[in-house]
Amino acid sequence: MLKNDNINEIITTAETDLLQEIMNIAFGRAASDLAEYIDIFVILSVPQIKLLQAFDLPTYIKQELRDHDRVSVVEQNFWGKFKGNAFLVFPSGTGKRIISLFDGENKFFESEPTHELEKETFLEVGNILIGACIGKIAELLGDVTTYSPPRVVVENSLRGIVYDNLSEPDNMAIVLRTVFEFNEKNISGYMFIFTKQESFAWLKSALHKFLEQYES
Amino acid sequence: MIKKILIVDDSPISVKIIKSCIPKDKDYELFDAVDGQMGVEKYKEIRPDLTFLDLTMPVMNGFEALEEILKFDQRAIVIILTADIQIKAVAKAHDLGAFSVVKKPPAKESIAAAIKEADDALAERG
Repeated sequence: MLKNDNINEIITTAETDLLQEIMNIAFGRAASDLAEYIDIFVILSVPQIKLLQAFDLPTYIKQELRDHDRVSVVEQNFWGKFKGNAFLVFPSGTGKRIISLFDGENKFFESEPTHELEKETFLEVGNILIGACIGKIAELLGDVTTYSPPRVVVENSLRGIVYDNLSEPDNMAIVLRTVFEFNEKNISGYMFIFTKQESFAWLKSALHKFLEQYES
Repeated sequence: MIKKILIVDDSPISVKIIKSCIPKDKDYELFDAVDGQMGVEKYKEIRPDLTFLDLTMPVMNGFEALEEILKFDQRAIVIILTADIQIKAVAKAHDLGAFSVVKKPPAKESIAAAIKEADDALAERG
């Protein structure tokens, strides 16, 4: 368990607040990009920032998604000075509704081979939301990131979402989380961004540089 | 002429940033509130000449707060300052009666220009 003093040594309350605002701006941009692409309205919420020990990440994810036994997940890793993993998570049953965002149809038959289509659709939505969000965070903080190809898992259990290489037990992770809804289709989703400990020093310095533009 | 400015935003750092963007040479009186509901209450209490209002906030979001403020004062000048730059969000803010929409993060120039526009509108009203 982390004590408040220890947390403040790693990231201060002011830095957390600024990171939350930057996530707010970045996800707003991502939602705008997606809304232009598929003509929807994304209802945004206030993002949350958490500092966790890496081995607590799987428990944290399970707790956050406790209402959902099965989920569909798009995962993408990103590298730059800002480095980590991004996860876009949709509750079970979202797939067919999310396909209808693209083709305008609401009717599906059980016999239809929709699995591949669901996968492609999650991939597309994930690519836009994760790419735009991470890209905007990097831009605001003066970094450039590259991305791994997205990995999509459709309708799976929660186990294995955060896999072993993220859970280096001695490391810390900063989690940026936001929840969103696609207004027209009653679809909700989560975005989690995990930044690794090796990014912390740069992140703190970049946050301070961001604020400097407002000091005069 | 604008004298009192209310900033409604749940992020303390965002409030600080917005305050730093407001021109210092006019001696505006600045007030702030941490969510939509507090913003509406503060508006009723101080009757600001201009309000900067965030959209994504806990308790009461900016759309609801905008409606409440305009219900109380039809002539309220409310500038939406938001990260939600979706076309439909901007259109909804305008439909509800926002004076203008400025996207986050704010720049000193965009805040100064928004205040000047609001000042001009107030002068026209007389």
